[in-house]
Amino acid sequence: MPAILEVEDLRLHYLTRLGKRVQAVDGVSFQLQPGEILGIAGESGCGKTTLVSGLMGLLMPPLHLSSGAVRIAGRDILRLPPAEVRRSVLGRDIAMIPQGALNSLNPTRKIRDLATDVILAHDEGADRRAIQERLRERFTRIGLEADAVLNAYPVQLPAGMKQRVVIGISTLLNPRIVIADEPSSALDVSSQKAVIQLLFNLLDEGIVSSMVFITHELPLLRHVAGRIAVMYAGQIVEIGTTEQVIFDGRQPYTRALMGSMLSAEPGQKSRKPVAIEGAPPNLGEPISGCRFAVRCPVAQPDCPQRDQVLREVAGRHVRCHHAH
Amino acid sequence: MFRQHPTLRYITARAGWYALTFLVAVTINFWLPRLGEANPVDTLMARVSGSMDAQAAREREESYLREFGLVQTDDTGKILRAADGTPLRTSILTQFLRYLRMSLQGDFGRSIVQHPRPVSDIILTALPWTLALQIPALVLGWFIGNGLGALAAYRRGVLDKVFYPVALLVSAIPSFCFGILLVYIFGVQLEWLPTLGGYDEALNPGFNAAFLSSAATYYILPFLSVFLLVVGGQAIGMRSMCIYELGTDYVRYAKLMGVRESTIVRYMFRNAMLPQLTGLALTLGGMVGGALIAEMVFSYPGLGLSVLTAIQSLDYPVITGCTLLVTTCVLVANFTVDILIGFLDPRIRAAREGEA
Amino acid sequence: MPTDTPCFEARNLTRAFGHGARRKVAVNDATFTIAEREIVSLVGQSGCGKSVLAKLLLRLEKPSSGDLLYHGRPIAESGDPRAYWRDVQAVFQDPYAAFNQFFTIRSQLKACFRLFDRRPPEGEMEERIDQALLAVNLRPRELDGKYPFELSGGQMQRLLLARIFILRPRVLIADEPTSMVDACSRAGILEYLMKLKEELSMTIVFVTHDIGLAYYVSDRLFILHEGRIVEQGTPDDVTQRPTSPFTRQLLDDIPSVHRPWVSRVGAK
Repeated sequence: MPAILEVEDLRLHYLTRLGKRVQAVDGVSFQLQPGEILGIAGESGCGKTTLVSGLMGLLMPPLHLSSGAVRIAGRDILRLPPAEVRRSVLGRDIAMIPQGALNSLNPTRKIRDLATDVILAHDEGADRRAIQERLRERFTRIGLEADAVLNAYPVQLPAGMKQRVVIGISTLLNPRIVIADEPSSALDVSSQKAVIQLLFNLLDEGIVSSMVFITHELPLLRHVAGRIAVMYAGQIVEIGTTEQVIFDGRQPYTRALMGSMLSAEPGQKSRKPVAIEGAPPNLGEPISGCRFAVRCPVAQPDCPQRDQVLREVAGRHVRCHHAH
Repeated sequence: MFRQHPTLRYITARAGWYALTFLVAVTINFWLPRLGEANPVDTLMARVSGSMDAQAAREREESYLREFGLVQTDDTGKILRAADGTPLRTSILTQFLRYLRMSLQGDFGRSIVQHPRPVSDIILTALPWTLALQIPALVLGWFIGNGLGALAAYRRGVLDKVFYPVALLVSAIPSFCFGILLVYIFGVQLEWLPTLGGYDEALNPGFNAAFLSSAATYYILPFLSVFLLVVGGQAIGMRSMCIYELGTDYVRYAKLMGVRESTIVRYMFRNAMLPQLTGLALTLGGMVGGALIAEMVFSYPGLGLSVLTAIQSLDYPVITGCTLLVTTCVLVANFTVDILIGFLDPRIRAAREGEA
Repeated sequence: MPTDTPCFEARNLTRAFGHGARRKVAVNDATFTIAEREIVSLVGQSGCGKSVLAKLLLRLEKPSSGDLLYHGRPIAESGDPRAYWRDVQAVFQDPYAAFNQFFTIRSQLKACFRLFDRRPPEGEMEERIDQALLAVNLRPRELDGKYPFELSGGQMQRLLLARIFILRPRVLIADEPTSMVDACSRAGILEYLMKLKEELSMTIVFVTHDIGLAYYVSDRLFILHEGRIVEQGTPDDVTQRPTSPFTRQLLDDIPSVHRPWVSRVGAK
């Protein structure tokens, strides 16, 4: 089956006011198959959020495209005119579920009006009455009391419900790909579970075809993703199936990340999580050699000198020449 | 029933506060003139008594005393006297109650300087000029200032780079300085426009072409001095509010959902407008004050000028009448804005309901 | 180790907001004891009342009814609130909100000493700040002249803990201190929290929605639901033999690596 999303050697950089260039995404490639959920994991500052802007084809200063391509069903969206991206790509081909659902809804607009704006933005002649019918149907389907919720202002809804509403609006136009950027990290564990369940339902009902799920919580990806890409300093450092990455990571950063997670479950008190010391490198400076070397617990003398490339190790791809 | 209607309860509570503010303002208005040495009757007597004999002067004085409510009278208006024949003075409290009763009926008494002209007559002559000058200047200035601020924030670039410093400069100049500056440039140096008054003194006020065109020429400078200051002040506030709104998560989300740019601008404008409206409630008094000062600078025949001349000649009833009117207008406008915001902003409504 | 001396005692503690039909009971008839040097976690979903309970302990809220004692005396009557806060300190979710963005970090740490009746001499203050920073693995010299926005969330959260090292309170109320921190930095924060407890022999009240996290750090857990403490006990008892359905729910909702969590009907 042809990939629905192909990211090819994508490089994105920020230009600061002082003319400094920060290479936030540096050579990311992956493919997403129809029906697949790909997890992207990494600590803050690894380039996850910048990558999302690239995937959505929404490059606005100070963010610029250095090179590479993002193809959705064969169409290179980074080279389309912005008006075309707005009308036919955003919300239809690819939609995002943002991190801070609490602030993602216009506080002075009723949910109904906001959702109507989204539909009208893509279908100018849409019949008002048909839109209302569609909203009711969709909101009911995702388990909301449609009439009450649609007539509410965001401030009147609790956090968990607001996140549900955002998911409803993001998937109104049945997008082929959904990018979920930490959709549940601001919620308590129970609401988190409900949100994931809802995302699964949307996939199962065919409303959404594929998903990219971004989070800094690896244990969550165990249940969500089929494949996982681990990002560090703007690059993918390991990409493989969920089993491979979570239980048998071969890249030292992947292992360190997994080892730093509090296994949040009873009976695991004996296994002591170890925080990763230090901070990721400054991407505003040129870096040579392995980017993780200074923090790596198993670094070898040659690591800081040797630029790392993704290579196949034990059935997955790893960016570490010592991995085996 | 108030428990079930938090909004209604809120409005009632606000109204209560405004009523209290009004009462304080009225009280200050009453006391201030009475703190000084000047007594209106003495002032009036000093002007007329020269040509009178003692008996006539005493009768005139007593009629003034009765008019200003300073002596006790019986039902028929006859002055009550003590055993030695001197009139019985009223207590200060009685005077205050009389003043309250009259003020509420719109009767501000008579002017001292232009005696026996009623203060309400002076106000009614000046009011049309003030309204014609201030309302267009304030309202237009407010809308245009907010529009320009939003535009500068949205477009950024050259427009913003030029516009922002200019607006900052204009709004930083005190209103009387700005008026004098306009007079100096357009009136004195360029001699393009007349600088003093509301119309050519040679003409009689009336609805004829000569008078109206004269009034229009005299209108330009005072109008500009109020209008430009409001534009500058509002634009700066609106610009920063819009820049803030454009950086919020909800704008980013709307963009990512492909919502049209024009719709996003509408979101931005409305949400930035709400704090501007709150700001309006806070600064309205100052704006009106500044506008009245502009009238004084240009000797424009409105309320500002009436107040100025009254202050210069210690014509207390006129000062009191004018300030009371202005205070009332500002309070009413404030109250309206206050209530309006609750209806326009669901966040504020929710907060109020939470409080209630 | 926890002692037998009670630090906090609550009897029928209730805190309600609003009146009539709008009345909401945030903490409902809570009775408990927290011993000196004990770590107790308040666990529950958002809106369960755990944060209000924390605020009551911090003297930021007043009880509507019932008693809340600190070392045998009602909190509201224990005199000067500043004296109380010298004993009972807090760290919150958002470390950036706890620091002023316009002053250097060091000057703000120094300002901590103002809470003491007598300020130590200059040299000793500097010394103690350095020690506190080292204790949470921050290099003092690297922070010189820096402002809060120049630090990462994890570093800021550690800075909050450094503040606690300086203030040396007897009690620490930690309200979701890890929820805004990257998952991989959480372990570090908790480690320093433990260290604090050991070195200062503090009592800690840890507020979290994550029962797994609570299990990891606590001597005892209080499970809250709709304002009521529905279960209290040791971590092992509560997690292995939960008596309340709400506890079971919280346990089930954790995304564990080792057991099924949510199911996909049409999973491929």
